[in-house]
Amino acid sequence: MSSSIGAGAVLPAPTRDTARANPAHRRAGWRPLQGLWAWPFPLAVLLLWHLSSVWGWAPEQVLPPPAQVFRTFADLAASGELWDNLHISLVRVFTGFGIGLLVGLSLGVAMGLSPTVRAYLFPLFKAFSQVPVIGWLPLLMLLVGIDEALKFLLIAKATLVPVTLNTCHGIQGVPNRFIEVARVYGFTRWQMLTRVVFPAATAPIWNGVRYGLTHAWLALVVVELLASSEGIGFLIVYGRQLFQLDVVLAAVLAVGIVGFVIDKLLSLSEAWLLRWRKPGL
Amino acid sequence: MHPRHRLGLLALAITLSTVGPLRAQTPEPLKVIRIGVATGGVGSNPIRHGGTTTALAYTDGAFEEEFRKDGIEIKWTFFKGAGPAVNEALVNKQLDFAWQGDLPAIVARANGVKTKLIAGSGVRTGLYLAVQPDSGIQKLEDLKGKRVAVFKGTNLHLAAVAALSARGIKERDLKLINLDLASGRTALVNKDVDAIFDYVGAFDLRDKGLAKVAWSAAADNYKFTRQTHLLVTDDFAAQHPQAVQRIVTTLVKVAHRYSNEAHRADLFERWGKTEYPEKIWREDFIGQPLRVRLSPLLDAFLVSRYKEAAKDAYALKLTRSLPEIDSWFDRRYLNVALKELKLEGYWPAYGTDGQLAH
Repeated sequence: MSSSIGAGAVLPAPTRDTARANPAHRRAGWRPLQGLWAWPFPLAVLLLWHLSSVWGWAPEQVLPPPAQVFRTFADLAASGELWDNLHISLVRVFTGFGIGLLVGLSLGVAMGLSPTVRAYLFPLFKAFSQVPVIGWLPLLMLLVGIDEALKFLLIAKATLVPVTLNTCHGIQGVPNRFIEVARVYGFTRWQMLTRVVFPAATAPIWNGVRYGLTHAWLALVVVELLASSEGIGFLIVYGRQLFQLDVVLAAVLAVGIVGFVIDKLLSLSEAWLLRWRKPGL
Repeated sequence: MHPRHRLGLLALAITLSTVGPLRAQTPEPLKVIRIGVATGGVGSNPIRHGGTTTALAYTDGAFEEEFRKDGIEIKWTFFKGAGPAVNEALVNKQLDFAWQGDLPAIVARANGVKTKLIAGSGVRTGLYLAVQPDSGIQKLEDLKGKRVAVFKGTNLHLAAVAALSARGIKERDLKLINLDLASGRTALVNKDVDAIFDYVGAFDLRDKGLAKVAWSAAADNYKFTRQTHLLVTDDFAAQHPQAVQRIVTTLVKVAHRYSNEAHRADLFERWGKTEYPEKIWREDFIGQPLRVRLSPLLDAFLVSRYKEAAKDAYALKLTRSLPEIDSWFDRRYLNVALKELKLEGYWPAYGTDGQLAH
């Protein structure tokens, strides 16, 4: 589980984020070609999907043709149904994500900075994080009911784990030589934190935030599959129960697109946050 | 080769190899008959399930007995996901017969799933509204603005929205929360929802002091009762018409045995060992002759109920096309069975208006 949420990924910031010297040049150079490699596989899947509907490999009721899914997607968008549900889902995700982020950052910072706090909390936290979102569902349903609170809490939990782990590891992973240099200069504790530790840990922390949001988005769908009357996850269940698999796939498409856009935005803001880094740092 | 591309080819190969066998279908001697039931039942080893003639056939092992001499196995599958899950299994050709309710079957037919309805099995099934004891909800009109649990996509869903819509209440006027029956009952007990559309589970909740029953479909209008049936896939019927005949004949025999009022006690004793106690099952049958509720007939009443259900489902946007209903009923097997067992005229046939036809 820890590898999938990128915990402990205390790596130097990716080179593209340090490419401040001449981003325009880089973008025009090898990156578009690199981007092309992302296309053959999805296109092959799309082709396979299309062929399977043409030749009837899978029953049409189970796997509607891509054209129909895109049509349904357009219909749902045009009728406003997609936006209404997406709006509800986004409110849920960002509320839950906000809670998870706050708690996760404070917990991560506390455990990263203080070995005592870490000794007290880390094993329990590790155990807590091993239970998947779905595992908490029955218990939380009884505790807080099936309302929004349930959704917020489960999404917050999904966010909390990667944010905490990455923040904690990020802070612990700040190279000792930085600290030593700062000591030589006689930095105060406050200066040490704001000038050395947090800037050096920004990349892994931000990594955690990104994973956190991705996980929040994934948890949303799980949470909305149950006990919901609206939202994009509900659209998936409802489509399935009424045997409109094109609605299911259109909703899945929407989930994928939104998730991708969110992650892209976060990755762009990461580059912006770390713009102070010089190449070759 | 880039690892990602190798992975892609692998995925392609796997997909092709699993899709291939789906196409090859040669008629084979019958070894197993697969029957799907659109409810989870209770317990396991064996799962217990009551309420219909199909359930009785299951409990009594009637189909097993009929096919034992030919070494044909009967494989029952119970679906917690109810009718919608049965549809998925039908499409994937994992079932030959299914016991299912009106709405899911209509949804499947609207989507081009090829089946035939071969016998009624659980007609005029009740639908009840269980409400929180202190909610003050006394009739359907009181549900406006309330939170109501309903298992969407099942025939409870259609009957519920049809009854609401007959009172001018639209789905938007209340919050219909999609919960399966077990979760819906938990939600009601936890006061997460104000009411739930349920079957006899409503009586169970009431007897435990957890709910009041505020509305009954049968007491309101027979039009809001639910119909369930036994269906066969067109594929199976084309390959093994004799087996279909034997299934229907056996089911008619079971229906006949228990339609006898002298066996009423026996019937409820059997069902009392399933999902609910005897007393609860009895309550759903109060004032209703067994010959009416256990009737296997595909009479004008049933046809008109499915036609209405299809229209309602379409009007309520639960389906996107209006399937043709008349040719869906295949009475050949039933007619042969009734004739062979000399039971023609045994069960009362009802007209489209719900009144006795003769």
